[in-house]
Amino acid sequence: MQQLNRLDLYREMVRIRQYESRILQEYHADKKPAWDIGAGLIPGEMHLSAGQEPAAVGVCAHLKQGDAITAPHRPHHFALAHGVDMKAMTAEIYGRTTGLCQGKGGHMHLFDPENHFSCSGIIAQGYPVACGQAMAMKRKGTDNVAVAVAGEGAANQGAFHESLNLAAVWNLPVVFVIEDNDWAISVPRSHSTATASNADRAAGYGMPGVRVEENDVEAIFEAAGAAIDRARAGEGPSLLEIHTLRLWGHFEGDAQAYRGAELDTVDERDPIPRYAAKLVELGELTEDQTESIAAEAAAEVDAAIAFAVDSPIPAPEDALLHVFA
Amino acid sequence: MCRAPSPSERNEGRVKRGSSVGIIANPASARDIRRLVAHGAAVTTNDKITILRRVLAGLASTDVTHVLSMTDLAGISAGLWALADKPSAACWPKLEFVDQVVEQTAADTVAATEAMVAAGVGAIVVLGGDGTNRIVASVCDDIPLVSISTGTNNAFARRIEPTVAGIAAGLVATGRVDVGAVVSRAKVLTVESGSRSERALVDVAVIDGDVVGAGAVWDPATISQLFLCFAEPDAIGLSSIGGQVCPTDRFDPAGLVVDIGRPAVRTLRAPIAPGLVVGVDVASVSTLAPGQAVVVRASSGVVALDGERLFRFGRHDRPIVTLGSDGPLELDVRETLAQAARTGVMSVPGRRCA
Ligand SMILES: Cc1ncc(C[n+]2csc(CCOP(=O)(O)OP(=O)(O)O)c2C)c(N)n1
Repeated sequence: MQQLNRLDLYREMVRIRQYESRILQEYHADKKPAWDIGAGLIPGEMHLSAGQEPAAVGVCAHLKQGDAITAPHRPHHFALAHGVDMKAMTAEIYGRTTGLCQGKGGHMHLFDPENHFSCSGIIAQGYPVACGQAMAMKRKGTDNVAVAVAGEGAANQGAFHESLNLAAVWNLPVVFVIEDNDWAISVPRSHSTATASNADRAAGYGMPGVRVEENDVEAIFEAAGAAIDRARAGEGPSLLEIHTLRLWGHFEGDAQAYRGAELDTVDERDPIPRYAAKLVELGELTEDQTESIAAEAAAEVDAAIAFAVDSPIPAPEDALLHVFA
Repeated sequence: MCRAPSPSERNEGRVKRGSSVGIIANPASARDIRRLVAHGAAVTTNDKITILRRVLAGLASTDVTHVLSMTDLAGISAGLWALADKPSAACWPKLEFVDQVVEQTAADTVAATEAMVAAGVGAIVVLGGDGTNRIVASVCDDIPLVSISTGTNNAFARRIEPTVAGIAAGLVATGRVDVGAVVSRAKVLTVESGSRSERALVDVAVIDGDVVGAGAVWDPATISQLFLCFAEPDAIGLSSIGGQVCPTDRFDPAGLVVDIGRPAVRTLRAPIAPGLVVGVDVASVSTLAPGQAVVVRASSGVVALDGERLFRFGRHDRPIVTLGSDGPLELDVRETLAQAARTGVMSVPGRRCA
């Protein structure tokens, strides 16, 4: 298993948080009227991943060149942690020609063939795709793995169940990750899901299922490492459910009235300040370092946003390019 | 060291009686990393509910009138609640749930157990592994525990059919058997580290490094020292190491200290988790006398209690481990039913399900 490098894990989580915080600002900055999601420099819906950084960072720390990830509609943390270029990704979110998909996809459709990263606005849609990628890896005889990520709400889609079944039947090198952030938009898990944990559902498909209850990057790192090593060794698929935290709304503009009192304690549960405090206590992080890590991340994010804003907007006739019909 | 207990050693302890029984079912048991790095069984939420139905059927055959169950958000209490008004549950005792704030952590088990102590239940049925029993035992006072293993490592709980466990719990809670003769007090290891004080029912392991990580102990190379309450030769878990070098009965007043590493006096294969039999270098083994305070050898590391990494320590809060004889009261289900057979209490038709 990969060696645990705490500072790397922390740095990556801060980098993602800086990114999401800036996108949050920029998204709202010129959204006028505020309810028109098409208005402003960043068009369309926006699902940010703040609070869920430990999942992406803990899992992706074990991935190497050639490993694939399929992410859902809330994809930024996994994209960044998996090495997708921040500039090209930001340009895509801004709908610019320099974007990953030349501005046609937007924030829910980031495709990066080089890094085998994709995501989709159709929930659980990445699960069958990851099975396909894993089948290709297996047939080519590599030791690569595919990681499929979805929310706990998505785990009630047929695609989730079909994929677990198929992966088990074909013994595919795939790790199914469920980010359980307690909410599917406004629906709590208890209203949508007959089993308490998707680890139980894994048992029904004959694969190991593990639930990491704490939104703790080191616990996730260890469990993900075991699942990924297992898949690499040809031991087959497994499911890793991570109990994580949606720090912000389902989408930007979500008033979250449905969350009630749970929302009052959300900031206390933020995993990043917690981890910083732990590293300081362990003597592995100083106050100065905290600042320099944040500053470094902020500079990278600034540059990515500047790149996006300065990039050309596609011409109207480009809408007819790269389409099948 | 390995002598049989005298009956008086087994039967000490004040026992409370009542006509209610508590139920603690840990929703998180059997879901940890040992499903990936070993081959721990999956015990799903539905399995746990089914086990509880069997326990309730057993309880219903006794004079228990109330059952107080822990509240969880993971589907166990909701599942029981949904069953309670069904015809198949008509003979259940009245089922109530602890009014508690659910945090989805071990604190839930603590809060529920405390509520059961306050309510004066006559026995607590525990569904979980060694870790769950450890937490219940930390606050259960003198209420007898009936432990049913639904965990990964189950050295503390004995293998038992839940229906029968329910009958035994009910007979004890209602005073239909001589409780003093069917309970025995477990040993306990106390770990003091700085201002922290924790208790373990089976084992305390000292782990190298400073990573608590995913909790469960599964890498034998990281273990430097073991303190064992008891070590049965057929145990699963870390105590199996002691179980092969010096089997130590749970009724033996003493425990064991096993130093792991080289030079080894003996290298053995031990099943430290289900499906995980590993080579372990045993550097030394010594008896841990009751009351003897032992400072751990390592100057820094992580302490694992009953198989679960819990906290880090350094030079300034080096843990001190002490074996005590003041653990929880364990109910001997077989002995309870044997007594019932002798006195004939089960031959009286059950009150509800005649
Ligand atoms: C197939 C499909 N159905 C419905 C939707 C609408 N939708 C978007 S996000 C979402 C909820 C997803 O919840 P969850 O999977 O828990 O992920 P989270 O948003 O919490 O990250 C739904 C229903 C969709 N995008 N795709």
